[in-house]
Amino acid sequence: MSQTLTPTVRDCIEAVGSTFDAVFARIDSWRSEIEGLAASGDGVVTVREVDELTETLVLPSLSADGALTIGAGYVATPGFLADAGWHLAWWLGHANTFGVGSADPSVRRLEAEEDPASENFRDYTTLEWWRVPAATGARHITGPYVDYLCTDDYTLTLTTPARYGDTMLGMVGADLYVNDIERTLLPHVRAVGGPATVVNASGRVVVSTDPHRPTGSLLRTDAPAIACGDTSLRLVLG
Amino acid sequence: MPQSIRSTTAARAAVFAPLAGGGRAELVAQRLTDAIELGLLTHGERLPSETEMARQFGVATVTTREALETLRERGLVETRRGRDGGSFVTAASRTESIDRRVRALSRVELRDMGVYYSAIAAMAAELAADRATDDDLEHLHDTIEAVDATSETSTRRGEGTFRLEIAALSQSARLVREELRLQAEFAPLLWLCLRDQAHRERSLAAHLEVVAAIAANDGPAARRATVGHIAEAIEWLLDAKADLEGQG
Repeated sequence: MSQTLTPTVRDCIEAVGSTFDAVFARIDSWRSEIEGLAASGDGVVTVREVDELTETLVLPSLSADGALTIGAGYVATPGFLADAGWHLAWWLGHANTFGVGSADPSVRRLEAEEDPASENFRDYTTLEWWRVPAATGARHITGPYVDYLCTDDYTLTLTTPARYGDTMLGMVGADLYVNDIERTLLPHVRAVGGPATVVNASGRVVVSTDPHRPTGSLLRTDAPAIACGDTSLRLVLG
Repeated sequence: MPQSIRSTTAARAAVFAPLAGGGRAELVAQRLTDAIELGLLTHGERLPSETEMARQFGVATVTTREALETLRERGLVETRRGRDGGSFVTAASRTESIDRRVRALSRVELRDMGVYYSAIAAMAAELAADRATDDDLEHLHDTIEAVDATSETSTRRGEGTFRLEIAALSQSARLVREELRLQAEFAPLLWLCLRDQAHRERSLAAHLEVVAAIAANDGPAARRATVGHIAEAIEWLLDAKADLEGQG
C-alpha cells in the first residue's frame, strides 16, 4: 500500500503519527518510572509516593510554553495503592483554564472526589480512557470529547496501562486540546490537496479540510482510510 | 480527563464568578442561596470573609455584607464572632427555601427560564442524535439504569447527569458549559416536579424516548422529546406555584 501513497499523503500520516507518538513517548517514560516505583516496593505503593513521583514527572511538560499537554498524570486501579481505594494523581497545565476564572492559571493539581460515598463521586473505570486500554492492554486515544470535569473543553485523552507483574496498577496519560491539535495538523492535512479528514477509531472527525465535516461528527463514508503510523487514527481521502 | 470523578472545582468556581448588572446584593444572596440548596455549600461550611467574597464576586464589601444579612434572615447562614468566627452555612429546610423562590418568581420568569433551557437542551439532543456512537448509547442506557425512580435524590441527580451526558454528546464545549451553568441556576426549580413519583417515572420514560431517537439518528425526534419533557416540567411548576399562592 505504501507505494501508492503520494508524498503529501505520506507527510500527512507521518505528521499525525509523530504528533501523537511524541506524547505517547512521554507517557511511556512516566509509565516506566511509575512501574519502577511499584517494583522497588514489591508492589506496595503509597499515595504520597506516587503523588510525589507523578508530580516530578509531569510538571515539566505542563509548564513548558507552547506545550500541547494540558493535563497529565496517573490514575490508580481501585485498591492497588496501599492507603487509598480510588486515587488520581493528575495535574492541570497553565494553558488549562478549568475551574479558574482568570485567563492565566498556574499549573495545579486536579481536585477530584475520591470518596465513593459522596454524591459527586463517579466510577472512572467505566470511562473510555480507562475501559478501552484496560481491556486491550494497549495505548488508546479517547476523543475528541467534551471533558466537562477536567479540562472543561474539547479534548483528546491519551492513556496507557501501567503494570506490576500481571497486575494493572493504573493508567498513565495526558490530555490535549482539540484546538491545538487542529492548529498543528491542519497544514499537513491541507497539503494533501482535495478533501482529507483525520478520524479516530470510532470514525469521529478530529480535523478535516472539508468544512461540511465538523470536528466531532461521525464520518459515514466508504472512502479509503489510511492508518496514521502507530496510532488508531486514520486519514480518509475523498 | 477524569470525567467521572466529578470534580467540584468547576461548579464551585461558578458560584464565586464575577457578577454583572444591578441589584447586586440580591444577586449575591441568590447565588449563595442556590449553592446552598444545591448542596455545593454544605452545612457547617465557613463562607469566605466579606472582603474575600467581595473580591471574588467583583462587588463592594458593603454589598456582600448586605447579601449575608439576607441569608441570615432566610436562615441559611449564621454568623459567629471571635477568633474562629465567620459566616457558616446552616442546614435550612430545602423545601421551604425552594417554595419561597417559586413564589418570588413571576409566571413570565418561570416560563422564560423553560424557554431558554429548552433552547440549549434541545439543540444538544438534536446534535447528539447525529454524533453518538453505539458505545455512547450504551453509556446513556447505563446512566438511566443507575437511577432509582422511587428516590427523589436519585432521580434529581440522574436528571442532571443525563442532561450533561447529552450535552457532551453534542460535541460542543459551549453547550456543555451552558448546560452546567443553567443546571446550577435553575435545576432545583425546573425539576421541582420530581417531588412527585409519577413525574419521576415520566422523567425516565422521557430519557428513554430521547435515547431511542438518538439511536435512530433522528435529530428532530430527540429535539421534540426534550422540548416536550421540559414543557411538562414547567407546567407542573406553574401549577405548584398556583397552589402555593392559594395557600396564602
